[in-house]
Amino acid sequence: MKPHTASLPLSAGSRPSFIRWKKWGKQTLVFVSPFVLYGLFLLAYGVNPLDLYVSMVKTAFGDLYGFGEVLLKATPFVLTGLAAALPAKAGLVNVGGEGQLAIGALFAAWFAVFYLNGFPAWLGIPLMLVAGALGGAVWAGLVAVLKVKGRLNETITSVLLNYVATFTVGFFVHGLLKDPESFNWPFSPEIASSLRLPIVNGTRLHIGFVVALALAVIVWYVLAKTRLGFRIRVLGSNRLAAERAGYNRNKMYFWVLVAAGAIAGIAGMIEIAGIEGRLRATTGANFGYLGFLAAMMAWNHPLRLIVTAFLLGMISVAGNTLEIGSGLPSSSVNILMALVLFFILGSRRWTK
Amino acid sequence: MILADILTGAIRSGTSVMLASQGELVSERAGVINLGTEGSMLGGALGGFAVTVWTGNPWLGALAGGLCGLLIASIHAFLVLSCGANQLATGLTIMFFGMGLTAFFGRDFVSEQIVGFNPVAIPVLSDIPFLGPILFNHDPLTYLSILLVPLLWYLIFRTRLGVILRTAGEREEVLFASGINPKLVRYLAVLAGGFLAGIGGAQLSVAYTHAWVENMTAGRGVVAVALVIFASWKPARAMLGAYLFGAAQALQLTVQQQGYAISPFFLFMVPYLLTLLALLLVERRKSSRTPEALGKVFAGEGSG
Repeated sequence: MKPHTASLPLSAGSRPSFIRWKKWGKQTLVFVSPFVLYGLFLLAYGVNPLDLYVSMVKTAFGDLYGFGEVLLKATPFVLTGLAAALPAKAGLVNVGGEGQLAIGALFAAWFAVFYLNGFPAWLGIPLMLVAGALGGAVWAGLVAVLKVKGRLNETITSVLLNYVATFTVGFFVHGLLKDPESFNWPFSPEIASSLRLPIVNGTRLHIGFVVALALAVIVWYVLAKTRLGFRIRVLGSNRLAAERAGYNRNKMYFWVLVAAGAIAGIAGMIEIAGIEGRLRATTGANFGYLGFLAAMMAWNHPLRLIVTAFLLGMISVAGNTLEIGSGLPSSSVNILMALVLFFILGSRRWTK
Repeated sequence: MILADILTGAIRSGTSVMLASQGELVSERAGVINLGTEGSMLGGALGGFAVTVWTGNPWLGALAGGLCGLLIASIHAFLVLSCGANQLATGLTIMFFGMGLTAFFGRDFVSEQIVGFNPVAIPVLSDIPFLGPILFNHDPLTYLSILLVPLLWYLIFRTRLGVILRTAGEREEVLFASGINPKLVRYLAVLAGGFLAGIGGAQLSVAYTHAWVENMTAGRGVVAVALVIFASWKPARAMLGAYLFGAAQALQLTVQQQGYAISPFFLFMVPYLLTLLALLLVERRKSSRTPEALGKVFAGEGSG
């Protein structure tokens, strides 16, 4: 909301500087507080939080390998974040990135193992990407059909389908897609090396992050600069206006959700082709939820999402350092992530 | 025999969901959706288990579980009611917070063993053929949870307190005009909901599995929220829905014991698919009536 500056002897956009400083101060406080709180938590467990935070920044910006690790972690968060941010602009809450990623990974692995074995990289990788997108789109399509035809709230259905997706992947890696040479371990055979994503020298970073960045820019462009994007935003911010303008609401809901699912599905494909090389029951676990949080932190802005995903990537990598360095389980950084989000969610009214 | 097994199992494994959905129902009647129910349940499951390990007393465990659930729900209440945060997003964050928090504090309890609550057969009644063992051979928390349903129905639909609760969820300005602070009512409703969800979680770890497993609620909190919609915000129907979910869980165990060649993963899915189906059916009948102010934040004068 804009303040009522019209009646004041101020030109629009130039608030007095002390107000601006106050706003910046508040935003800094919102950002710093969760780290302080989590620091106290770490102190209680005998870990020096400063060590962790310093090593966090050092890992991320100290050398190319560390920077690559953070980007690697951030890549799926950008994509599943987009899967939440795009529907959010249309007024939908898609929490199904988790399941859409899983089914995308399943489709990608299935195609890679059974059909794309002998394909050269230039053809095989794009086909695998399409398969992943298709998987995510199908899964989001279920949510969309339930929303449009069954008039069911997409938040609830997408969360419930996440569990179904996890069990579906479990079914396949224990059965039809199980590696015959795995000595009964539940994972798929390894995909052909020609299907693996090219790697940046000196890191583990693959080109998947370029795909993620490109998609973020595309989604931003469509939303901000095109007529379609305008319509999506109108639908999300003023349903009545959208109805008056004669938009086909159900059709838009359907395709926005399917597009979001396709993006999350691509995240699943990238996990297979970029990092793991095979499908496991745990592939991409929690990435959907983390992406949703990244989108929330960015207020569903596709470009800001890149920054928040990077931040979550830094925190995730820090989790591994924490586990190795001090014996605290890596899951404890989830607490930090939730704290960051609590402060952001709670401060919206206050920082205005 | 198999039918009796499934029906007994329906109550046994449905009770945790039932308690959580009764709590969520109270919260939603006051106008607040709390997806953080999942987090409250997890907190309750771990807190209840931990206190039972320390004291050996499952009653203290159940109480502690309820308090943990209440504490976690208080974050939701504060962010949503005092800070005006988005209800769904806050709920999800709390779900995630609960997962992280309990994974962290729970690792010391993974291999612990407890006696906990165990089924107590009610004399005479449990001797009734067929129905006796199904209905009257459960743990104490389950009996209490069954008593809770008519009690809640009475409170919500037959007392002044219930009118206040429902008004908070329908027309908060009316409540405000009559000198009652709707925000306070909502706070209490969310906290009560968290308490019940926490006891539900404790029932799971202290009475049902007698163990703590990371993320052991596996979406039961989300199912509880879905069931409230299925139940059209009515306690008895929420109970029915929860037992249906429990029956699907029990079916899965029974089929496995009988040695049928069905992949367990399909059976794992059944409860979630059944919940979706139940939602679809109730939406078709269009009989559900949502509390009018559900999900909205009261922004009237003096509400801060």
